[in-house]
Amino acid sequence: MHAALLTLGFGIVTASILALSAVAFTLQYGVTNVANVSHGEILTIGAYAAYLVHQRTGSAPAAAIAAALAGGLIALAMYSSVIGPFIRFGASPTVIFIATLGVSFVIQNVLVIFFGAANVAYNIDPGAPQQVGPFLLNALDEQIVISAVVITAALFFIISRTKFGKALRAVSQNRELARVTGINATRVAAATFFLAGLIAGYAGFVLAESVGSFTPYFGFGFFLITLTAAVAGGLGRAVGTMVGAVIVGIILEVVPALPVPFVGGYISASYNLAIAFAILALVILFRPRGLFTSARRTVFE
Amino acid sequence: MSRPTTGPALEVRGLSKHFGGVIAVDACSFEAPLGQVTGLIGPNGAGKSTAIDLVSGFKLADSGTVLFKGREIQGHPPHEISRLGLIRTFQSPREWPGLTVLENVVMARWDPGREGFLGAITGLRRAQRAKADDELAQARDILDEFGLAKLRNERAGNLSGGQKRLVEFARIRMAAPELVILDEPMGGVNPVLGERMAVAIEGFIAAGTSVIVVEHNLPFIERVTQHVIVMAQGTVIAEGPFESLRSNRDVVDAYLGEQVR
Amino acid sequence: MTTYLIAVLTEGAIFGIMALGLNVIWGWSGDFDLAYYGYIAVGAYMTIVLTVGPPVAPAQYIIGQSLPYPLAVVFAVITAMAVALVVGSIALRHLRGIYFSIVTLGAVYVMYVFAGQYVPLFDGYNGLSGLFDPMGDWFGLDYFSYQYFFLGLSLVMFALVYFVMSRVSSSRFGMALRTLREDERAAAAFGRDIYRLKLKGYVLGAALGGFAGALFAAYLTAFNTSAWSPVEVIVLYSAVLVGGRGNIRGVVLGVLIMGLIVNESTRFLPQLPLPGLSAFDTLHPQVLQAARGGIIGLVLVLFLRFRPQGLLPERRFVDRSPATPAIEPAPLAS
Repeated sequence: MHAALLTLGFGIVTASILALSAVAFTLQYGVTNVANVSHGEILTIGAYAAYLVHQRTGSAPAAAIAAALAGGLIALAMYSSVIGPFIRFGASPTVIFIATLGVSFVIQNVLVIFFGAANVAYNIDPGAPQQVGPFLLNALDEQIVISAVVITAALFFIISRTKFGKALRAVSQNRELARVTGINATRVAAATFFLAGLIAGYAGFVLAESVGSFTPYFGFGFFLITLTAAVAGGLGRAVGTMVGAVIVGIILEVVPALPVPFVGGYISASYNLAIAFAILALVILFRPRGLFTSARRTVFE
Repeated sequence: MSRPTTGPALEVRGLSKHFGGVIAVDACSFEAPLGQVTGLIGPNGAGKSTAIDLVSGFKLADSGTVLFKGREIQGHPPHEISRLGLIRTFQSPREWPGLTVLENVVMARWDPGREGFLGAITGLRRAQRAKADDELAQARDILDEFGLAKLRNERAGNLSGGQKRLVEFARIRMAAPELVILDEPMGGVNPVLGERMAVAIEGFIAAGTSVIVVEHNLPFIERVTQHVIVMAQGTVIAEGPFESLRSNRDVVDAYLGEQVR
Repeated sequence: MTTYLIAVLTEGAIFGIMALGLNVIWGWSGDFDLAYYGYIAVGAYMTIVLTVGPPVAPAQYIIGQSLPYPLAVVFAVITAMAVALVVGSIALRHLRGIYFSIVTLGAVYVMYVFAGQYVPLFDGYNGLSGLFDPMGDWFGLDYFSYQYFFLGLSLVMFALVYFVMSRVSSSRFGMALRTLREDERAAAAFGRDIYRLKLKGYVLGAALGGFAGALFAAYLTAFNTSAWSPVEVIVLYSAVLVGGRGNIRGVVLGVLIMGLIVNESTRFLPQLPLPGLSAFDTLHPQVLQAARGGIIGLVLVLFLRFRPQGLLPERRFVDRSPATPAIEPAPLAS
């Protein structure tokens, strides 16, 4: 029982990071209807930015800010130079999907050119574990969970209370209609991408801290899990995404710890992504999102 | 395909479908006579399109039966219903845009023997080639008839709306089904093409295809149909020859009600 | 003929077969299938475990037969088709567009993880090796003549596959696949069983992938997860896109072009005025590889934006018979 709660505690930490990443992804999807496959790279860049600044200044808060800013800028660049033009060009969602896959690949390789492909160690003293309620968390874990909650709350405040938030919701629901009411959809989308990038960049910093090391590829791996959470929660719906993230985060911690007689004992943590995808596939297959079956429902896309 | 010489072309009994809380089709029943053009009209939201989707297999009904050639087809997937001899069009023209007009027509006919992978390899055999040449000739003739011969090598996606509709008609001619359901063929089409379409529909009848036309364009309905069914609020409220409906109180109310709204 | 040229041509032929298979699924059926490389891998792995005999500890892998190479290839292809049948029957039933792509991405990732993690399968990340000169002893070939032999074999196989694909392309089956790509609902309305047809195309494409994988395994003499890297995958998909989806000539052209880019693009880099470039290769060994990857990704994005139909767009059947005898004068020769 104690062990189960411990695992649950770790699950919450993972879920927090995942929630940030997934919410950022969902923001981008909501406002453009595009699944940005290079989303993971925003996290990676955030991690590198944080590392560089931390090396120079020795300050974790400065690193966090650097990560967020770098993330925001790269996300904005993704929108302005690739996603936006493709949308205006009238490309189909699949084409843009492939394009962002290409962008992801380019960014990963550029990072390898400048930083090399080897693991970069990002070690911050996590502090001693403390008893927090029924869970055992260290200072780093607490920082992650608390900041995740704060950021999410701030985000919800922005979305529901500010003028920008209203515009964001309008564009997410119906781009054309929003345009007609005088909203500059492109500007709103760009700003949303910047905002999403801030969150994702920070998530990258936190993830790197938590794992202890990172490479140019680590964002992409995390993206696959992010995608699972986002799709599980309902692409485009922020609240659902959060819930999805929590569920997926917990499953990812719990399943490998299960004493399942598979591969001689416990499931290796590297199966994480495989599990995530199993969840993803199940979700996509059984959610009635207007999927096409000849006799039953309507065509989608 | 065996063609029954008696009985209705299509028999719908008690068809119902609801979406969430909205009842789209409500215990709808009608018959489309064989060898005639039957119109299906009604104000917006009457459930005509949903009824067509249900009949053709693109949606699953909650209850009711649909009899085609004496067989229950409700619940079967669209391709099976199509292979039985019931083909439908859609509210917007659904040509195959990347294929040429000629290819669109040739591919309208489903040929079970030649559409498998093995058929691709054995297609070199003389008998197969002769069949293919035959088909090509037929397709050309049909395009000639529809005045589309000049456009036969054009990408179908480049055509105007009216031309696309004609290509759809050419496809129907090629497939020669027992029953064709036209879903708002005049939608977005220049009224000048109306007469051409009417002639095409008469061609269908002459070739042994019964026709059901869903339309908002009432003069067109008057021109082509022998029998008209009126739907409102998901069910049939009247039927008969067009002239008889003009003075039908219920029909007028249904349409007027729509205008006031 | 230099060894380099032989290698390039052999690889080109094998990649050509891969691209032709991907073309069936992505070009004709219109589905962006990310699981495709998985079928190539299955073909490669299965060929090796069926030819190199039982594992020698500490290596572990399944089966471990010493079948003649051609027989092993047949079984490998069948296995790839079986895996594709499973993935396709799930993914193609309801999913289209990016949902289909995501699920297939998931499938290939699961395959990748299993191949690498579950050691008893294919010896994990070590992978398999030992497939030296299959069929070489039948003809008493030494190492050098074997290179020529295998080149010839690959080219012949490629030509065979190309011929079959050209038949399929102009056949009703190929056209039927295209109708699914162009408008599924209309295809269903005209009697096509969408699911079954797509599945057929999917398994056919996978068969070609598996076959190419079998050849690839012989070419590399080994196979493991590093042969399964993102670069290889992106090059393949880029080849199909750049060359022209749906056009078998285009696809082959795409392979040639991507081959050119892969091999030659970094040749000129040291001459570019970038800071610190003299130390380019020596500083980070992976840099050249990464530069190559970056260029390929860029090419992919640029083509998607400016030439999505590829260099040789799909050709349509042009009917050259006289249009209307009544209107036109004498029938003209085509």
